[in-house]
Amino acid sequence: MNGDGVFYRPPPGVIDKLGELNWPLLITLSVLTGVGLAALYSVAGGSWQPWAERHALRYLIGLAMLIAVSVVPLRFWLKLAYPAYGAALFALALVPLIGSEALGARRWLPLGPLTFQPAEIMKVAVILAMARFFHGLASPRLSHPLWLLIPFAIVALPMALIIRQPDLGSAMMIGLLGCGIMLMAGVHLGYFAGGAVMLLAGIPTALPYLHDYQRRRIESFLDPAADPLGASYHITQSKIAMGSGGVMGKGFLGGTQSQLDFLPEKHTDFIFTTIGEEWGFVGAIVVLALVGMLLAVLLGMALATASRAGRLLVCGAMLTIFIYTGINVGMVSGAVPVVGVPLPFVSYGGTSMMTLMFSLGLAMCAWVHRSDRLQDQDWRW
Amino acid sequence: MTHSDQPRDEQIQKEDRRLFTRRATLIGVGQALAFGALGTRLYQLQVLDAGRYSLLADDNRFNAIPLAAVRGRIVDRFGVPLATNEEGYRVSILPALAGNLELALERLNQLVPIAAEDRARISARAKRQAPNLPILVASDLSWEQVATINLMAPELPGVETETFNRRNYHHAKVMGHIVGHVGAVERFAMGDDPALRIPGVRVGRAGVERGSERSLRGVSGLVRREVDARGRIVRNIARTEPQTGSDVAVTIDLEFQGYLVERISRERRAAVVALDVIGGEVVGMASSPAYDPALIVPPPPLPPEQPRGRRRSLRTGHKVVERKTDALFNRVTAGLYPPGSTFKIVTALAALEAGVVDIRDRIDCKGSFTLADRSYRCWNRGGHGRCDLHRAIRESCDCYFYEVANRMGIEKLAAMARRMGLGQTFDAGIAPLSAGVVPTPAWKRGRYGRPWLGGETILASIGQGFVLTSPLQLAVMTARAATGNMVIPTLVRPQAGRPRPPFAKLAVKDSHLQAVQRALRAVVDEAGGTGSRASMSDLGIEVAGKTGTSQVSRRSANRYHGSLRWEERDHALFVSYFPANAPRYAVAAVIEHGGGGGSVAAPLVREVMAELLNRDPIRKPAISVSPSEPLNGADVTATPSRGRTPS
Repeated sequence: MNGDGVFYRPPPGVIDKLGELNWPLLITLSVLTGVGLAALYSVAGGSWQPWAERHALRYLIGLAMLIAVSVVPLRFWLKLAYPAYGAALFALALVPLIGSEALGARRWLPLGPLTFQPAEIMKVAVILAMARFFHGLASPRLSHPLWLLIPFAIVALPMALIIRQPDLGSAMMIGLLGCGIMLMAGVHLGYFAGGAVMLLAGIPTALPYLHDYQRRRIESFLDPAADPLGASYHITQSKIAMGSGGVMGKGFLGGTQSQLDFLPEKHTDFIFTTIGEEWGFVGAIVVLALVGMLLAVLLGMALATASRAGRLLVCGAMLTIFIYTGINVGMVSGAVPVVGVPLPFVSYGGTSMMTLMFSLGLAMCAWVHRSDRLQDQDWRW
Repeated sequence: MTHSDQPRDEQIQKEDRRLFTRRATLIGVGQALAFGALGTRLYQLQVLDAGRYSLLADDNRFNAIPLAAVRGRIVDRFGVPLATNEEGYRVSILPALAGNLELALERLNQLVPIAAEDRARISARAKRQAPNLPILVASDLSWEQVATINLMAPELPGVETETFNRRNYHHAKVMGHIVGHVGAVERFAMGDDPALRIPGVRVGRAGVERGSERSLRGVSGLVRREVDARGRIVRNIARTEPQTGSDVAVTIDLEFQGYLVERISRERRAAVVALDVIGGEVVGMASSPAYDPALIVPPPPLPPEQPRGRRRSLRTGHKVVERKTDALFNRVTAGLYPPGSTFKIVTALAALEAGVVDIRDRIDCKGSFTLADRSYRCWNRGGHGRCDLHRAIRESCDCYFYEVANRMGIEKLAAMARRMGLGQTFDAGIAPLSAGVVPTPAWKRGRYGRPWLGGETILASIGQGFVLTSPLQLAVMTARAATGNMVIPTLVRPQAGRPRPPFAKLAVKDSHLQAVQRALRAVVDEAGGTGSRASMSDLGIEVAGKTGTSQVSRRSANRYHGSLRWEERDHALFVSYFPANAPRYAVAAVIEHGGGGGSVAAPLVREVMAELLNRDPIRKPAISVSPSEPLNGADVTATPSRGRTPS
């Protein structure tokens, strides 16, 4: 940075930065979380225990974290990108060795008294690493196949590790996220077209290597009526719940499917079903609209950000929310196969809440520092 | 970076921004499209298909369990109980609540021994049917066992004890053919009434139990309850109590019936029925071989010194042991015989009504009748000479009836047979009933695919050939001839306050009917009558009747009765009504391979008539059962504890 006195402005303080926060984003987020709280209150049979209360607490902690992340200089996070990615990769590699097993999958890693899912952390780490990489890549090289090997590796390495856990949902998430960021970074569209063709051709080859439960889920998605009490029970019951909600719903606390335990995972992955049952088509559309609003605000934030790294961080958060919501709503309405993916800020679950908040924190940080051009030398250690 | 790079740098920045704006537009449109697709999917699910899914949600939520109604009792015409109910205890299991079914059965086995084959059957059934349907485990539990099971209830999830009603039959040896028995529901019969799917439910399989099933069964109740995904009951929504079936009083006089069964059992194969010609009520019917209650096996009682011994599980009712016998077959209602000369009552009335012969017209009987180069013999080889109707009936001249039948044709004969109650079944409250055969050209085409032959009309005129009737139908025919009314037989007394409608008139010219009636009296009480052995003139009672000797084998035409094998001998028939001047009872008897109707059947009928005269059951006051009243307050609806009730 040149020391030209005329253009010099003192670096903004923390207080100034707080004034720069994007309030529409925070308000939409809070409304969406409020909807989630109401739904969690309802599925517990009209009680703050055991989910709604903790969900609210997590939201507040997450919000504090978001704000804290956003006032830290952007260049600090970008300096942290590669080390964080490396650490996350290392943790992922440790999972098969010392991770704890639940429901036939090894996904959790102990960290002192807590356990965490390295795959969730990896979702943020991939965004950071990709932003960092593409920021440093000169525009002419953006679509050069050799240079693209690096982002490809950034995405493919964790995917390979996560698939082994097995956690097809998270692996797909990271894959889609990586593709989305590459798209937003400006990689030539031909790669995406080619990738899509290869994927379609590759599915039949991959089927024999899937786990039994994964194959059953896909099969039951294709024909849910074939086995109503087995693997497709989830889809069938979820569709019954949503469909019986009708236009106006059965009323708050009135969802028979949710209240009578016909719904599996009703407080986590299938929370949207409860909303659809109790508040009907209108309620479901309102939730979709809230998420849509969130996405629109984030896209606007990305467009207003000067640095490529900042834009990609915002896009990373936006894509995460978009993919989560799309898969989740598609799944509970029977439009895509059952994949364990939560509905952002509505589903109960600590890890996803924290990951999303951290992602949004990075996006907010990019917004707060939107006029910072981030020259290459800014983040050398 | 130097100042000289600045413009180029700016250029790159600008280019970069344009690229990003394009991509942002792309992703924005992509996201909007994806959300639009999700919205469309939700619209399809929640608006277009909402009705279908609402039904599915209610199916999930509610489960309806039918409650069996207590079967009505059966009593005789004076109120003596014939079929009653006895309460017993049984235990069933609800797989939805049992969790591990094998484990639950194992635990239950400690309290109630369950045979290995029963256990296999229960497991197989649990796999086949919905987990919310109970499966019967064992019946006939002692009160101690029921108490123990209920005490252990917390350790026995899904195990339910209940009371049930078992059928008890009284006077079965005498009444068995009439009352019949209950049994398991046939698979094809399920479906119309959900109560038929209740485990262990019994329905009438024969006799009045089957013929009056609708009155006896009652109306099943229903518990509708809200259940959660595990089948646990959240609350009862509504309960409709079952309505006990109506009691049924049969028209049979138990004491007279006892006499009848005792008398008929002397014959090898025979059937006799006595009908009240005024009300159509059957006061007694007996069939030989007699009903054997040992063939209907109730579960044996538990020996007292064996508190937990071998117990018959699952046999909740009476089991019919298959044996090579037809003792369960009621020949009166289901047996079919060629009516022989008793059918001449029909032929005579048909001929008079058709106008092919007048009461006084005479027809010359030369011992045979020739049609199309075939001759049809009269039973009297020497011929009767010139006969009018009166003599033809009295002496049972075959030629007379060949001639008049040939004149009028089969259709008019068949029409009269139907009017007289043949070739049809009646809603008599008993089952099975055989319709018999009243042949017509159309019937023969349908049955054999061949045209009607003139000779077949000739054979039909004397109740041979294709004609088949049951003894009950013969009694009805006689009652109709006696009264000129369309008498309809019944085995069930009318309910109180619901008298039977009077019978329609037979619509036969009075002079014709009286001529036939006079001739029937002559059969018994005039010289030369074939039925003189039925006469009760010594008692001062005038009897009218008609003999019948129906040919079973061609060989019986030429050979002496005693030289034939039993199954080649003729059936002996006799139908009668009395008192002839004011008819009250009609009696019909068939003695299979008994020989001549006048020599064998007529004396039997006379004995029966004497007994009837002695008892005269229709003169004594009979009971009428009152129709069962619906229970009041049958619908108890619980208010939901919270939330909205779906409409």
